[in-house]
Order: sequence, then C-alpha cells, then structure tokens
Amino acid sequence: MYDAAYRSDAAPLQRATGGLALRFRRRDRRVALADLWQSGCLKARFPRSFDPHRAEAVQLNVGGGVAAGDRLDVAIAVEDGASVTFAAQAAERFYRALPGAAPAVVRNAVSVADGASLEWLPQETILFDRAALDRRLDVTLDAGARFLGLESLVFGRAAMGETVERASLRDLIRIRRAGRLVLHDAVRLEGEVAAALARPAIANGARAVATLVQVAPEAEAMAAPLRAALADAPAECGVSAWDGMLLSRIVAPDGAALRASVVTALAVLRDGRALPRVWMC
Amino acid sequence: MTTMTMDTGMGITTTEPALLRLLAWLSPAFPTGGFAYSHGIEWAVEAGDVTDETSLRAWLADVIAHGAGRGDAILLHHAHRAAFDADALAGIAELAAASAPSQERRMETLNQGAAFLLAAAAWGAAPSGGEGIAYPVAVGAIAGRHGVDAHAACCGYLQAVAANLISAAVRLVPLGQSAGLRVLAALEPALLATAREAAAATLDDLGGCAFRSDLASMRHETQYTRLFRS
Repeated sequence: MYDAAYRSDAAPLQRATGGLALRFRRRDRRVALADLWQSGCLKARFPRSFDPHRAEAVQLNVGGGVAAGDRLDVAIAVEDGASVTFAAQAAERFYRALPGAAPAVVRNAVSVADGASLEWLPQETILFDRAALDRRLDVTLDAGARFLGLESLVFGRAAMGETVERASLRDLIRIRRAGRLVLHDAVRLEGEVAAALARPAIANGARAVATLVQVAPEAEAMAAPLRAALADAPAECGVSAWDGMLLSRIVAPDGAALRASVVTALAVLRDGRALPRVWMC
Repeated sequence: MTTMTMDTGMGITTTEPALLRLLAWLSPAFPTGGFAYSHGIEWAVEAGDVTDETSLRAWLADVIAHGAGRGDAILLHHAHRAAFDADALAGIAELAAASAPSQERRMETLNQGAAFLLAAAAWGAAPSGGEGIAYPVAVGAIAGRHGVDAHAACCGYLQAVAANLISAAVRLVPLGQSAGLRVLAALEPALLATAREAAAATLDDLGGCAFRSDLASMRHETQYTRLFRS
C-alpha cells in the first residue's frame, strides 16, 4: 500500500520455493508412477529403466542453486513391492546468506511399504561460505521395507579455491521403522566452520563428509564386506551395524575423494548395480 | 529430613540430601561399569590422534562441546523434566538410543543406563523398565525423581563422563595421574558452558559434528587388540 512506496525500504529478496511429491506402486510386475506433483523450481524426470522391477526418478532444481530463505519440499511414497532409485540431476549448491537471514529450509520425507525399496541417492550438497541450511530427511519404513540413503556434505570446492569460513548447518536424518525411531543422526555446525573442521575430533582438516545408512535384512552382514572395500578408499571411513541397520561415515579431504569413496561403498551396498546415469555426468 | 539449601556460588542451589545423592551416583565407585568404555579413545590413541596431555584435552573438549557431551546434556535436562511422565520419558529414551552413531556407542550408553537404574534403586523410586534407557536419560530421570537440581546433575554428569574418559586415556596413552587431572581441570570451562547451553536447549537443538570421534568408535569395533568395550 502507501508505505510500500518508500523507496528507502530494502526490497524483499525473491525467495524460491519448490515442491515435489511422487508415489510409486507395482502394477503388472512393473513399477508405475501413481502420483506426480511438481511445483516451483523442482521438477522430476523419469529416465527409462532397463530393470522392469525398479524405477528411477531424478530431481531437477531449475532454480540453479539454493539461497537463504528458499524452501524445498520433497515427498516420496513407495508402495506395494515397488523398488525406486531417487537421485538428483546435479550437486546442490547452497549460497551465502546475508547476516541474520533465515536459512534455506529443505524438508524431505519418504515412506516405504512392506516389500518395497527406496534408494535415496542425491548428489553432493555443496556449501558456500556463510551458507545457512536447515535440512531434514524423514524416513518412515514398514517393518519389511528396505532403504538405502546417502547425504554428502562438501564445505567449499577445493579445486575452485573455495573455503567455508563460517556457516550455519543443521542436517538431520531421522528413520522410523515399524513406528519406532531407530536413527536420529543430527549434524549441527554453527559459526566458525573452517576452524572447527580443522580439529582432530571433528574432521582433522577434511572438508567433505558423507553419511550412508542402509536398513535391510542383510544390513548387518554387509558391514564386513563394506569395511574391506573401503580399506583403500582415499578417505577415512567407518562402518557399524546393529539391529538390521548399517551406518557409515566417510570423512574426505575434498569432494573428489568423497565421491570416489561413496561410489566404492555404493557398489558394495547395491550389489554392483550401475549408479543412476546422472551420477556419471 | 534436613533440606537446608546451599548456594554453591555457581548459580546452582542444592539441598544437602541432593548433594549426597549426586556425589554417590556420579562417583567412579558407582557400579555403572563405565571403566569398560573408552568412547572410541582406544582407537584414537592407536591411530595417533591422542598422544599426550594436549591432544587429549583438545579431543575431549570437542567430544563435550560438539559430540556426545552436548547431546547427553540436552537429553538429561529433558529426562529430568519428564521424570514423572512415563510416556514423555519413553520418547526421550527412544530418541537417546537412536542418537548413537555406532553399535559400540549405543551399547556404551544403554548398558551404563541400565546399570545406573539398577544401582540407583537403593534410593528407591526407580522408574520401571531399565531396558533401552541411555545413561544421560537414566541420570536425568533419577535426579528429577529425587529432587536433585537438573543443572547440578548435568554438571556432575559431564564431569563424571570426562573423568571416566580421562581415566581410560591415562591407561592407554599412557599418561601420568597429574597430567590426567590437569586435563580435567582445564576442561572445566567447556563442561560448564555445555551444561549451561543444554539447560535452555530444545530436542530440536540436538546434533553435533564430532565426525572423527564417531569414526573412532566405528573403527574400534575391528581394532585388533582391545582393552575397552567401546
């Protein structure tokens, strides 16, 4: 109204929002997309799959990176014996936030029914200096569901000479199986990030961290082969498993070493199946 | 019962019985079995990350401020508030168990929690069912039930955990007793700052970044020679 005419007021920055909701089910022994909803900067693509039992979905952010105050929501439901691999077309960049700005908010929620399987394989999350991100991945599993998930964090691209001096990051993976909370893995880094990552109990100077989690009947049996495969990886890797779940952390000097190690781990956990094509671009 | 109140000079007021209970429950002699756990420090020593007094102090300062210490302190406060609310307490216990980043860290906190509840039953009024209750949740709930101030319990808990890990490192590195005590004294500001921050934190504030402390506990699982269970 009239007040808005005062030219000295700071113009509100344009905020991007994006939403994606996908539902898959099995139909005639093939995986079918039952529902698709796309809004704002998020779109989904469905590359042709050579495996009739598994569908692939690829997320595109046409906004080209995420700024403070942006809001992205993804919901995926996998039902009735369907198997789905979800990936993102590219690494996602989170740009510098102005002081005091609200963080970028990302809310991912997936549910997997008995006999169904979901692979959540986005590519790297690249944080720029002074980025502010609040992200959650909520996973709801029936007792007989299978899930493989990955979140990779890269603090500045070393090859581009980027460093992240300060940032505000909250990154939560929360898994419920048969109604019970089985994993609450919360990463929280506030303030002087470069100084924190330099310290031995945090990252000892490493600038990239990935967390891998698998929930499956064979998850505990996968720990030994995964440890063996990662023994020569160009990163520090840890693997643990309990109660039908496997958790692995990978701490790497940079994004390239992180990716090489993650690819090695995924080859073991995915029984050598090829990664989504967007991973190879 | 005497309930004379004492001001400890640190913003904590506690009653005489509460002080006695806290001293008993968080003493190294209290049978939680804490001496069997190193929280991954056995691996950190093997890997050369913890080699002396200085590196031990730095490692533990981060475990307290950015690792299990901070998370435990927040969980302890919430368990204290939920001491008489079985449903709320069960939710906090589930969250605490799900927050462990490895099988050995999960065992470390759940076994000590169960042992703590069993031993604290000597004072009466134990909550039912010690299965799946992590150590900080057990301490918070028992403190709440016995009228022990939450902040006092939290400070005491963090100090007990730090002292236990120092004791492990003193044997593993090895370090002299006085070096270990100097580390404990030097950690005082970190322990108090974490306890104060936790008092006002919500469960949404849980989270940390002690990635290599987590890695150490994972790699300890396959360490060839081991004195400790974590």
